[in-house]
Amino acid sequence: MQYFIKHKWAQFAVLLAVFYVLATVIDPATGGNWWRIQETRFWLLPDVVNNALRFLIDDFWVVDVYDSELDITEESTVVKEFTRTVSGVVLFSINLIRELLLGGVKTVVAFTSWEFISEHKWARIPALPWPAVAAGAFIVGHCLGGRNLSVLAGASTIYIAVFGQWTPAMQTLSFVLVAVPISCFLGLMLGAIAYKSKAFETILAPLLNVAQSMPHFAYLIPVVIFFGIGDHAGAISTVIFATPPMIRLTLLGLKKVPPEVLEAGTMSGCNSRQLMFRVLIPSARHDILIGVNQVIMQCLAMAVIASFIGAKGLGYELLVSLNMLKIGQALELGVSIVLIAVVLDRLSLAWANKQADYLADLPFHLRHKHSLAFLGILIFTSVIAYVASMVFPDKVNYLYFIDEAQGFSTEKFWDVMVDWLITNTYQGVQGFNFFMITSVLMPMKEAFLSMPVAATLFLVAGTGYIVGGLRSAVIVTAFIAFIALTPWWDRALITAYMATFAVVVSVIIGCSMGILCSRSPRATRVILLVCDTFQTFPSFVYLIPVIMLFGVSDLSVLIAVIVYATIPATRYTVEGLTNVPQALQDAGSMSGVNRLQRLLKIELPLAFPHIMLGINQTVIFALFMIIIGAFIGTDDLGQLIMQSLSEANGMGQGIILGLCVAFIGLAVDHLIHTWAEQRKQVLGIA
Amino acid sequence: MKFLNKIATAAAVGSLALGATIAQADSKEPIVIPTHNWTSQITMAYVIGGIFESIGNNVSYVPADSQAVYESIRNGDVTISHEVWQSTFSKSFNNALDAGGIIDVGTHASVTQEEWWYPAYVGELCPGLPSWEALNDCADIFATAGSGGKGRYLDGPMDWHGQETLDRIEALDMDFTAKFAGSSGALWAELESAAKDNRAVVVFNWSPNFTDAGDGGSFVEFPEYTDGCKKADGGDGKCGSPPAGWLKKAAHYQMPKKWPEAYKIFNNVSFTKGDIGNMAALVDIDGMSHEAAAAKWLEDNEATWKAWL
Amino acid sequence: MSTSTQPVIKCESVYKIFGENAARIIEQSGGKVETAALLEAGCVIGVNNASFEVHEGELLVVMGLSGSGKSTLLRCISRLIETTAGNIHIDGDDLLAMNDKELIDIRRNKMGMVFQNFALLPHKTVLENIALPLQVKGMSTSDSMDRALDMVNLVELAGRENYFPRQLSGGQQQRVGIARSLAVEPDIWFLDEPFSALDPLIRREMQDEFLRIQSALKKTILFVTHDFDEAIRLADRIAIMKDGVIEQIDTPANIILSPATEYVARFTREVPRERVLSCQTIMGKYDDSQDMSDLTVSQEAIIESVAKPILTQQKPVGVTDSEGEIVGVLNSKIMANVLFGDANSLPVNN
Repeated sequence: MQYFIKHKWAQFAVLLAVFYVLATVIDPATGGNWWRIQETRFWLLPDVVNNALRFLIDDFWVVDVYDSELDITEESTVVKEFTRTVSGVVLFSINLIRELLLGGVKTVVAFTSWEFISEHKWARIPALPWPAVAAGAFIVGHCLGGRNLSVLAGASTIYIAVFGQWTPAMQTLSFVLVAVPISCFLGLMLGAIAYKSKAFETILAPLLNVAQSMPHFAYLIPVVIFFGIGDHAGAISTVIFATPPMIRLTLLGLKKVPPEVLEAGTMSGCNSRQLMFRVLIPSARHDILIGVNQVIMQCLAMAVIASFIGAKGLGYELLVSLNMLKIGQALELGVSIVLIAVVLDRLSLAWANKQADYLADLPFHLRHKHSLAFLGILIFTSVIAYVASMVFPDKVNYLYFIDEAQGFSTEKFWDVMVDWLITNTYQGVQGFNFFMITSVLMPMKEAFLSMPVAATLFLVAGTGYIVGGLRSAVIVTAFIAFIALTPWWDRALITAYMATFAVVVSVIIGCSMGILCSRSPRATRVILLVCDTFQTFPSFVYLIPVIMLFGVSDLSVLIAVIVYATIPATRYTVEGLTNVPQALQDAGSMSGVNRLQRLLKIELPLAFPHIMLGINQTVIFALFMIIIGAFIGTDDLGQLIMQSLSEANGMGQGIILGLCVAFIGLAVDHLIHTWAEQRKQVLGIA
Repeated sequence: MKFLNKIATAAAVGSLALGATIAQADSKEPIVIPTHNWTSQITMAYVIGGIFESIGNNVSYVPADSQAVYESIRNGDVTISHEVWQSTFSKSFNNALDAGGIIDVGTHASVTQEEWWYPAYVGELCPGLPSWEALNDCADIFATAGSGGKGRYLDGPMDWHGQETLDRIEALDMDFTAKFAGSSGALWAELESAAKDNRAVVVFNWSPNFTDAGDGGSFVEFPEYTDGCKKADGGDGKCGSPPAGWLKKAAHYQMPKKWPEAYKIFNNVSFTKGDIGNMAALVDIDGMSHEAAAAKWLEDNEATWKAWL
Repeated sequence: MSTSTQPVIKCESVYKIFGENAARIIEQSGGKVETAALLEAGCVIGVNNASFEVHEGELLVVMGLSGSGKSTLLRCISRLIETTAGNIHIDGDDLLAMNDKELIDIRRNKMGMVFQNFALLPHKTVLENIALPLQVKGMSTSDSMDRALDMVNLVELAGRENYFPRQLSGGQQQRVGIARSLAVEPDIWFLDEPFSALDPLIRREMQDEFLRIQSALKKTILFVTHDFDEAIRLADRIAIMKDGVIEQIDTPANIILSPATEYVARFTREVPRERVLSCQTIMGKYDDSQDMSDLTVSQEAIIESVAKPILTQQKPVGVTDSEGEIVGVLNSKIMANVLFGDANSLPVNN
């Protein structure tokens, strides 16, 4: 008995045995609620949620709004007027930046009217010539971060222009330049409030968990209904998705500020605002900057999904070209998205680290050399572009704007590559395809589908209890019981089966890759760069080639999922292994272990808690991608989420389905976090 | 609220009749046209936008999900939708009609067909096509790893017509299983991949579509559609899809009042199957951008669209 | 306004009790602090009934081992933490009654503080760190930079203005900390174990530096340390704390010569007295009748520096004050006692 209490694996073994017995005993035909929970009033929940939201936007606190255009008074609600005002502000900001880059009339309209614009055709903001923007990027890079950064920023801009992606890229940029600051600002504010108020933190924590693990598609319809459709809606849904990591990292950073620094600020006579903005937030900058990096990555990762609700730009073009099977074009668009992410990330980092020189006493032209240089280039390029259009009135003006059709393209090359790959490997992979589907995936799916509700809840509760005691048991059981009460238990089991398979494979690949790469600092740098790139590279791009090779099947979905979910597994393994304290490594070396022993006995056990957090992220990434996998064709929760776009109660149904997915992720998240925390305490590296 | 919306809709339609006599000027606010993710729809958006602009209206385009767009029209965030396909969007469209705020602006001249479809080369692999019995006889060449020995029919996303395919397979006792693709992109990827090594496939497809051009393919011929033959309508389910489905136009209920001229034109707009095919071909075959294709179509077919003004 | 007789810092029965129920228990006992009851309730007593005064220009060192409550006491007086009971007056003003605005005001103008781990802002340069208290006061950038540059010169860091804290050694970082705390020209200077995180050699150097600055600025200082040697080296007076209680508060010489408790004596026993005490602390009474040696020593002279000549003299040696008047005598017997004997047999003059 003593042995049993001490050894958790023994408890697990017993738990599994009981689960197995339960699963065999409960019969689908006679099991009733033990097998699947029958229809209850709980099934009305999507309708309730839907009606509640509808009520909020359509019938709650009705006010009369006068439409001067039509000269009628219409009914509206306060909530609707409020959300539309927010939309208006966001949309104006996006249009302002966009029209400064690309030209347009909407900014002018905001101050005049459409009649005015229609009568005065001159009243429009002219587009900047692309060489001016490229030079601007070059100068900003130079100003903030010196030569390397200026080359990166300038070259990326030139790539975008020369490959004929100017318009969509600038559209995406303008949308990102609004979404990123809003997310950062909100994240910083909410993080700061949570730091000051424990109560607020307690309320915020579960909301953040849900917001971060809810599939994006689940809240697209509510955003459309509350905020409308267009770039602003895309930006707002991006903000919802990108703010939580910023809040988390702000809070984490603030909590890590040494109390002495806080006291030093207080004793310097800071009031509470100065203390927050001049002392605390700057001192927490390391973590906050990681937050900004996350925000930028998330915003660009949302570029494609935001186009479902009206965001113009690279994401939309990418979807259209994928639908036309133009994989090469999609790839080039994806590269542009990654480049924008990388450049923005580096620029923001350099900006945050920039030092002011108080001692230099420079004359005007030196102090403003960057602004002056830009002004000069702007005039020069504009004149050149103008002259060129005078001299060659009928020709395309490459110095002003390069259209999609006139740009360079490597798409032929990529198309041929993909073509070649598919023609030559198709037959080869069919054996694998057949084996995987018939011998692995289908039996696995069957096995998952034969899990009775009662047995599964028992397993979950037991696991929770073994890992984290009664509290964990209650939490994880509540998550899973919620799903069991919905009509979608079978769908959730299919999602779980795909997630399990994808996570197992991703972890095996990711950890092996991580272990190999962490052996050399050079390989570490390379692999981390690859991880960053793949994280921003739109995952939609791999969907089509995967279908061509493996058809519309679960295997295709899983391969796409694995490509994406391997990223965090790899990253966290590398980070965990490279952060093992040197003293412990030395101690190991001195006790005469060889390389393999050192890895197995010292490094891996110490890095294990961190790696587990990576596995946690792998689960979240996998769930996200499985939902996106619905575009290939699945029969899990994701398919229903897509379907809810056309349902009458789609808003409520989408949200409840999204919660089901989120709760699977959160249950796993809770277990892994609890375990990792305990483990860190034991190892003394908390 | 729903009731109010219906009254408002009725009033709007009523004012249309008045609008013709009073000849009120169009608002200068832009008419918002949605763009989805298939060629003909995007090109047609620019064509219709071009027509509106030719009478001095302002137009703006917004990318939108093809199912979620009807909700946006109801809210007035999007003004029109110019390709409402019967089988794929009728559910979303009808839900929006029930909720109010959107009006039905008639149909295009083009009829639509949506049915099981195979590329031309499959005809040689399975002689006897396009009859469904012949298809059923060579079910084994359509088998895939996941179909368990039966033929595999790749249907469109489940929400397009849902249970109907499964009902039909059961009613006709076919040796087939249906797999639901997640998007039209998935359908084309599967087709493209199959064409590379002459593999037999049968997928969901529709016409007019880009597949009408080139080598093309054919629709499978099922027992003829009659009203009420579908299981959902109480029939035995032993029938194909209607051979001539509608392709509708929809608009926000305030459009007739706000843009009376444009609404009148939109009401007249009616593309034929040939028009739609040409628009798509300019992009898919000739490699033009959507805007350029629309401009070319407007230039080449001035007589057609000038008649709608 | 402060007068020369009014203490700059005045503490009366200051208590700091940690624990959830502390406030309630004290309230129940009518404002009286009963330590036994508090300990029973699971409270921890940080400062226990501390009363003392610090006068203008005086350097009071609070010395104690870790957990003795010395830093807690300092934080009560700087009001970084709230005092549980008692009174604290700064220049006659009731510190504990001040509202936030007054508190910020007094910190901006009257107080400066140096921290054990320097507490520099990692993202700011030397100059920016020093200028922080000036800028939060609302001083313009150029004025604050000028003032900060003066402070950089004061702590001898010229040439490193644009370094970041991470680019400086520990000693240099603490110089920045000192400069920052002095930037607003405070009257009261708090130092919380300022040199404890430094290497012994650097610590010594920084103590000299500290004495140099103090001799020029003459601040009123509360200096916290756990190092007894440091305390006797710097202090005008020392308060020795144990378990929140001030065991003894007196001049270094008196503490060495007559430790009040066994606990204090444990520190003084190890101290090399000849290096610490000055002649006046051990000199005998002078009367005209004595036959004096020609040699005289200054009353300020440290014993070690004069021990050898005095031991070689047969006759008593005169101890002179700053005017050259003889105020006491030293002879070889007293010297031998200081150097080799036990402390208790020494005469105590003060």
